Amino acid sequence: METRKNGPDARKTLLTLLFYVFSTLIVALWLLPILIAVFTSLKSMDEIMGSSKMWTPPKVLHWENFTRVWNKVGMSAYVLNTFLITVPSVVGALLVSSLSGFALAFYRFRLNKAVLVLFIAGMLIPFQMLMIPVFRLSDALSLRDTRPGVILFHIAFQLGFCTFFLRNFMRTIPFSLVEAPRIDGASEWTIYRKIIMPLSISSLAALGVLEFTWIWNDLLWSLVLIQSDSLKPVTLGLANMQGEFVSYYNMTAAGSIIAAIAPLGVFLLFQRYFISGLTVGAEKG
Amino acid sequence: MRKASLSLLALFGIAASIGAQPLVVQSYMSDEAPKNAFAALVAEFQKQNPAIKVTVNTVAHEQFKTQLVNYLTAKDAPDVLTWFAGFRMQQYAMKGLLEPLPESTFPGGSFVKEFPAAFKPAASYNSKIYFMPQSWYWWAVYYNKDVFAQYKLSVPKTWDEFLSVCETLKQNGVAPVSIGAKDTWTAGGWFDYMNVAVNGGTAHQKLTGGTVSYTDPSVLKTFGYIADLAKKGYILENAASYSWQEAVTPLVEGTAGMYLMGQFIMDSVPADKKASIDFFSFPKVGRPDYGVDTPTDGFMIPAKAKNKAAAKKFLAFIATKKAQDMMNVTLGRLSANMTGAIPNAEAERGLAMVKGAAFAAQFYDRDAPEEMAAKGMNAIVDILQAPDSYKDILTALDKERVRIYADLK
Repeated sequence: METRKNGPDARKTLLTLLFYVFSTLIVALWLLPILIAVFTSLKSMDEIMGSSKMWTPPKVLHWENFTRVWNKVGMSAYVLNTFLITVPSVVGALLVSSLSGFALAFYRFRLNKAVLVLFIAGMLIPFQMLMIPVFRLSDALSLRDTRPGVILFHIAFQLGFCTFFLRNFMRTIPFSLVEAPRIDGASEWTIYRKIIMPLSISSLAALGVLEFTWIWNDLLWSLVLIQSDSLKPVTLGLANMQGEFVSYYNMTAAGSIIAAIAPLGVFLLFQRYFISGLTVGAEKG
Repeated sequence: MRKASLSLLALFGIAASIGAQPLVVQSYMSDEAPKNAFAALVAEFQKQNPAIKVTVNTVAHEQFKTQLVNYLTAKDAPDVLTWFAGFRMQQYAMKGLLEPLPESTFPGGSFVKEFPAAFKPAASYNSKIYFMPQSWYWWAVYYNKDVFAQYKLSVPKTWDEFLSVCETLKQNGVAPVSIGAKDTWTAGGWFDYMNVAVNGGTAHQKLTGGTVSYTDPSVLKTFGYIADLAKKGYILENAASYSWQEAVTPLVEGTAGMYLMGQFIMDSVPADKKASIDFFSFPKVGRPDYGVDTPTDGFMIPAKAKNKAAAKKFLAFIATKKAQDMMNVTLGRLSANMTGAIPNAEAERGLAMVKGAAFAAQFYDRDAPEEMAAKGMNAIVDILQAPDSYKDILTALDKERVRIYADLK
């Protein structure tokens, strides 16, 4: 019995040790492709094509790849365009879906469930199936090749998930918080604006981060809807580095790293909301 | 938010209305060298025509292909599009989506004054011209001279010599034939060259035209040769996991010996290795004559283009010797214009090879309907992986042929 007293402690230390070893390994494995991307972004094209060992560090550091991508390839304009598409899309999607989420969470009407199912069903349709209808519609409405056109479609397509997510969160807010002000004569807008919105900040922030990353990384809708170089976002700009004949791996890698900075920054900025916001309401559907 | 989006909308309205005589060129020349050369060309045109305001939109090459139908059918279609000659263009002319180019469009007054008459069929449909050729290049077997020298190999002229070169390379641990089959079009070159070498140009035209079965004994023979290469282990291992460009590296490193590819392969060979890489004509397989693939790139005008007069002016400019030289001498390709300068000694040899050929094809995916070529090229990649079942693969492919050509009518 004396020996067993130390047992659990020793086992705990061993488990902790194993945990750290394994998690370090997994993290290293995950970082490996990023490391290779960094190496590739600093190599010359001749070095890349001359050797199949992509995991070796560059012989000469070609920092000018980054300046070339930023200036000559026009990454600076692409990044700005992406911001001009992403920020209004995220704000718009959050605004509209918080309203629909509010209605679905607090109003009791007969088709409440049916409307919710409609939103969820929208999430299940693969976007590729909608490419042609979206193209035809935007062409007919003269929204093709305009920034508002892309923004409107992003808002529409993100609406399903955002509504579902916010509705589920709002259901965790006690109904009395809606009922009490109603009795006191507050308008529905005041309830939404002054009570529900402040309570939803953390989940709005979490959702905002998710949406920001998704819309930032979108290639499909920009590809279908945008034709002019002057409106192109970063994802199309990256694709442009693959030519008819030659693909510039080093430029693409440098551009991808630049493109990843903004979503990363947004995530770091809002990460304290992220976990809490995503799990709030997880135990109650 | 509402205010911001309203002013944003207003901003776009203004941006769209500025500029007289706009000419929108939608280009797939997204790699740096062609993009820059094309920009210089456009600047020259702009200088000569100050009243026209040219906007060039560059789209990644592979994405351009998927978006072309959108460009052609949109209300505000671009005025000029880059594209390929052959069936790839003709299928859209057939549907009335392209603007015909009258002979007077051409600077010399007719197509044949500027371009070889042999280019005309691939540039026209139903005796109307729809396509302004700019440049073309050849396909050939590229090989590593250092590797050949090391194992004392000489350039193979016949299929038997080719096989013995392969065997020697394989014995020495060098992959005889490199191919980046992740891009299935790399297999299209093998299809064209092998079939023309086995059955000749006329038979090949019938096959890409859809009137010959893929299970015809002559076609089986062609694919038998390809299957044989795979069975003997002469194809680069895991070929299907490399893009065409990734498969260049083994050739440059000397771990592979040969690569059937277009002239543009030289663009991705590192500068210090360019001297080691050279090309030879595809070996002969029992026929005295030989064929070549000479894909031709150029421009066309959508039927829905807004500014057709300016677009034709631009195309006429592109057709001139000066404009073609500006582009092609820089890039080392051959001008479609007969009087165009030959950029270098390599191009001189390429041109000689093409002139000696009895038959010139565009390329499998330009001569045959896109879907047919896509299925066909997939089938070849499948055969490279499962050479024993090549007959079954071709039987399945022929079912597709019947369906695809029936759909066309």
